[in-house]
Amino acid sequence: MAITRREFVGGATAAALAMAAAPANATNFAKGAGAYFAGIAEDNGVAYRLTNFAKIDPKWRRQVVQYHSTEPQGTVVVDTRNHFLYVIFENQTALRYGAGVGREGFQWFGRARIDRKAIWPDWVPPPEMLERQPDLPRFVSGGPDNPLGPRALYLYRDGQDLGYRLHGTLEPWSIGSDVSSGCIRMFSEDVIDLYQRCPKGTRVLVLKHLGSPDA
Amino acid sequence: MVVSVRRSVRVACLALAAGLALAGCKTIGLQGPGAQAATGTNAPAAGFANMTTGSEEDFILNVGRRTYFAEGSAELDDTARTTLDKQAEWLLRHPQWLLKLQGFADDPGSTQQNTALSKKRAEAVMAYLASRSVDRRRMWARGYGKERIVRDCPDISCTSQNRRVISNLRNERET
Repeated sequence: MAITRREFVGGATAAALAMAAAPANATNFAKGAGAYFAGIAEDNGVAYRLTNFAKIDPKWRRQVVQYHSTEPQGTVVVDTRNHFLYVIFENQTALRYGAGVGREGFQWFGRARIDRKAIWPDWVPPPEMLERQPDLPRFVSGGPDNPLGPRALYLYRDGQDLGYRLHGTLEPWSIGSDVSSGCIRMFSEDVIDLYQRCPKGTRVLVLKHLGSPDA
Repeated sequence: MVVSVRRSVRVACLALAAGLALAGCKTIGLQGPGAQAATGTNAPAAGFANMTTGSEEDFILNVGRRTYFAEGSAELDDTARTTLDKQAEWLLRHPQWLLKLQGFADDPGSTQQNTALSKKRAEAVMAYLASRSVDRRRMWARGYGKERIVRDCPDISCTSQNRRVISNLRNERET
């Protein structure tokens, strides 16, 4: 099940993935991507690449911070502008994760609920993304080369899928920045951790991004 | 009046899009719908700045204290077992800690039924950790029923947070 780097970069899906990323990232992916990974781990029968956190700015690492909020414990607050995702803890603190924000991720804000969660989710590119990038595959099954990474948490409101997801990434260097595609990306390790901490029904508050269409 | 205020916000943000008044629009953005409720300082929380392996902070950040349950159930699902596997691993590496398991409920039924269910949840967690080689003598379970509700509403966004067991590290046994 373990994948070598060559298989990973050379695979047909990897080519599609490079297109899913911004052009600059695509170059980065081909040239220096290896430095962002450190070893392989197994999760639910799938081998995936661990993040090399030595290469990552410490501010994007998972940490517990002071956080003043009127939101009850357990709420997820997504701050797309500052590229952070919080889980509210007790005593005015929160667990903070670094996040990468895609185009689809900053076009929506407000309140939602996590009504669905998936392990190694399948990926169906949304129509808007296919319009911009017609060469993308129509379907990528869940696994180590799926751009959603090891977990996806799906946001709903009043029973309707908002098309907004919190998910992993194959591109750890994209955490902390605005990227061309996806919703809210997190390090593989972090989205696995978040999945554990958010039961179905978890409240989510997405703060407005400056780049949103009605900002 | 409201309309004109909204319009001026929009105009200010268009100015932002043109590369002007960036700082000013950040403030405006914070006042937008759904964006009013949260502000962060982002300084490390007390005890987390110089966190050491094996500390309570390490447990909170790298393992997690909460196990969640479905309505009316004290059964551990796959997600709960994954969390508890991590807890067991950590507890075996750090044998100095004792563990108080606090069960809670926010489920259909009477107060007594909720208290009984919360105790059953805490005991299910204890039994699972024991099956993962954590010494039973290090642990004890309590049920608090509907006490200390995180947020009170009939919706799953409230109840899912309340149907939980919190694994609390302790230095000594309570009498």
